[in-house]
Parts: sequence; C-alpha cells; structure tokens
Amino acid sequence: MRSATYALTVAVLTLWRPENGCAQVRAKADISCRPAVEKLQYDCIINLANSRSGEPLSGLTLTVGADMPSMPTAHNVRPVKATEDEDKGTYRARITLEMHGDWALRLDLSGTVRDRVIKVLRFGSDRVDEAPLARTPARHRH
Amino acid sequence: MDDHVIGVLSNIGVVSFVALSAYLLLLTGEISFGQQAFFAIGAYGAGVATALWGWPLAAALAWGAAIGGAVAMLVGMPTLRLHGLYFAVATLAFAEMVRILFELFRYQVSIDGELVGPNGGEGFRNIRYVFDHNIDAFQFLLLIYLLLAAALLGFVLLERSRLGVIFRMIGEDETLAGLQGISVVRHRVLAAGIAGSLAGIGGGLYAHLTTYVEPRIFDVMLGVHSLAYGLIGGLGTALGPLLGVVIDIGLLESIRALAGYRMIIFGGFVALLLIVRPRGLLDETTVHRLGRGWRQIFPWPRRPNLNRRGNNA
Repeated sequence: MRSATYALTVAVLTLWRPENGCAQVRAKADISCRPAVEKLQYDCIINLANSRSGEPLSGLTLTVGADMPSMPTAHNVRPVKATEDEDKGTYRARITLEMHGDWALRLDLSGTVRDRVIKVLRFGSDRVDEAPLARTPARHRH
Repeated sequence: MDDHVIGVLSNIGVVSFVALSAYLLLLTGEISFGQQAFFAIGAYGAGVATALWGWPLAAALAWGAAIGGAVAMLVGMPTLRLHGLYFAVATLAFAEMVRILFELFRYQVSIDGELVGPNGGEGFRNIRYVFDHNIDAFQFLLLIYLLLAAALLGFVLLERSRLGVIFRMIGEDETLAGLQGISVVRHRVLAAGIAGSLAGIGGGLYAHLTTYVEPRIFDVMLGVHSLAYGLIGGLGTALGPLLGVVIDIGLLESIRALAGYRMIIFGGFVALLLIVRPRGLLDETTVHRLGRGWRQIFPWPRRPNLNRRGNNA
C-alpha cells in the first residue's frame, strides 16, 4: 500500500511541471467542410493561425479526429492526417463520419507547435453548419 | 504506440471511473442513473481549477473528486431513503438538473486576451493544462491507469474490509443488515460519497484528456452506459465493470464494420446478458470458482490455525 502511494506521488509530481505554463504558442482555427462524393465523407479546409499574432501556422503535422458530444467515447472517428496547401497555414483533410449530427472536430497539431483545437459542427447530408447551442440537439440519423 | 490506440485506451480508463462509481452503488443494492452528474461536476471543477485558477493537475483532480463526493453525499442524504425505481428516477432527475445547470453556468476569465471558462451551452474549451505543461498523450495515459490501479487497489481493500462486507450485506438484504445494528442510510450515503469521488476523478481526467467539455456530454446516455458496464462485466468483483468498458469501447470500437450500429449491438448485448447472466459475466459464483482455481494452481502458504495459547489447534 505504502509503495503504491509512493509510486502515485512520484508520477503526479513527474507530470506536474508548473514552470512550463503559459509559454506555448496557441493556435486558432477556421474550418469549413462540405460533403464529398461518398456518403458521410466530408472535405474540410482548415486555416491555422497563431491566436495572439494572427500569423499563419505552417509546416505542422495536423490530424483531424471527431467525437460526438452527445455520445462521449462511443463514436470515436480514427484521426486522419491533413495535407498542407501551398497557401501558408491552410490544410485539407477528408474525414469519414459514422452518422449525421453534431460532431466535435479535434484538430491535433504537432511539430513546432503542439496544441489541440476543438470545433463543433453540425454535419448534414447536404451541408455543414456551425452547431447551435446544446439545448437544440441534432437528431442522429444512421 | 498509435495515437488512436492511445486515445481508445485513455477513453477506456476514464470511463472505467464512472463505471466503478455506478458499480459501488450497485453493491449496496441501488441502481443509479445519475453518476454522470458527478462526472460532470468533477470535469468542470477540475477544468476550472487548472484553466482559470492555475492549480496543478494533482490538486485539480483532488478538488474534482472532493466536490463530486461532497455533492453525492448531499444528494444521497434525502434520495437514499428511497428505494428501487424511486431512487433510480431521483438520480436521473438530479443528473438532468445538473446538466441543465451547466447549460446556464457562465464563468469566464480573460487569460492572455482570450476568454476562458464555462460558457453555458457552448461548453468549456481550452482546458489546456496537458499542452501548456508538455504532457504527451502517453504520459497522460499512464496517469489515468495509475489512478485507476489505485482505485482498484482501494476496491480490493474495501472488499476485504468490514466496510465492504457491510456494503454487500446491505445490497443483499437491507432489512437484515438493519437488524444487525447497521445504519443502512449512513453506509449508503458513505458509498454514494465514495462513488461520487470516483466519478469526479474520472470527470477531471476526461476534461484534461479532451481539453473540452459541454453539457451534452453528460446526458443520460453516459449514465445508462456506466450502469450497463457493471451489469455486463459482473458484480462479483471490481474488475467486472472494467470488463464491461473494455467490451464496449475496446472490442466494439475496434470492429469498424459495426460503426454507427454499435449502440444497437451494445443494447442487445445488455438485454441478452440480463436474461442469461443477470449478475454479469464475472458474477459472484464465477469469481469464487476462478479464485478457487487460482489457489489450486498457486497455493498460498496458509498460516497455521493457532488457538488462543498460540499452539497448533
């Protein structure tokens, strides 16, 4: 029991590094998606920028995953890697969802900037919109 | 390790906390559809602590567990006098009340020129502790499983303690337990507090894992699942609900052909198991048999049976 407590304390202290805080570059993202040819496939264009300076973030590895907020951990789309356009900070990804409805897109940035940006969008059969507030849930259609 | 695998394993670990939370109440004979409320309280509490107050992660998780446990005890005092369906409905109503309260809850602070904090129905974004402190996904996975191992160790100790026996006794027959001089309501409130703390830790880990929470995440679906994990995995051991989580998130997640139909299969599986094995895959009888088989393979050196004078009996 005592050794388990020690192990737990060591692990927590290892992970607790407050001196590193607030030194990171934060990213902001603009996303626009539209339905692709295949059912439940969507093509997304993502513009990444430094949230403070507004400068485009290029040369990063960007993966796009998705979760359904109304069913946490249940519908977990395997992340796909986005490709960068010639325009600085513009990336493209094709995602395949499991059903229509509200999805929280998870943009994971790695490389010179490590960050995660979440965007909640409502994916329909013919269009993609900003998801409205939580009080108006979308109907999930298989 | 592949990022997706780490993500799935992290989800399994985090959801296991809320499954263990529901399992503990099942041990005392109560079915709760509301453990997601304490998961939500832990998630918002721990998220606010790191993102807005600048607390270290360990303190934030402890805070999430403390408020989850405290609220669970406060709610438990009036509701645990109810039984069966009435208690189940009361917990569900409370969970929905908490979810709607979080839809109204706004507490934002400007940090580096950016508004951070819960913003009603839009949720709570930028819980960025793991990114600000360079904790990678694998390190966070280790933290989740370390805390889960500590929780399981706590369950092992609980099962062997007098308190664990009392919990099971109340779950089997509360009238008989009351006749033995056990305060049924007090012990159930204690169980609710421990269960609330477990769900609170899970919520705190979830908020820092995803960096984003919103009220919709904590709806009845999560509560039903957390209950179902115990019923699938079994009520004979704390490993039961974990087995339930692994079956749902691990096994069904890995079969991509089932994508989109997972909930239907999961629901059918729960219904089937409730008919065939009402106390789950690892029920008390199975656990006893497995334990006996284990002791036959690895015989534990038994202490000699001594009488009061210290002589062999």
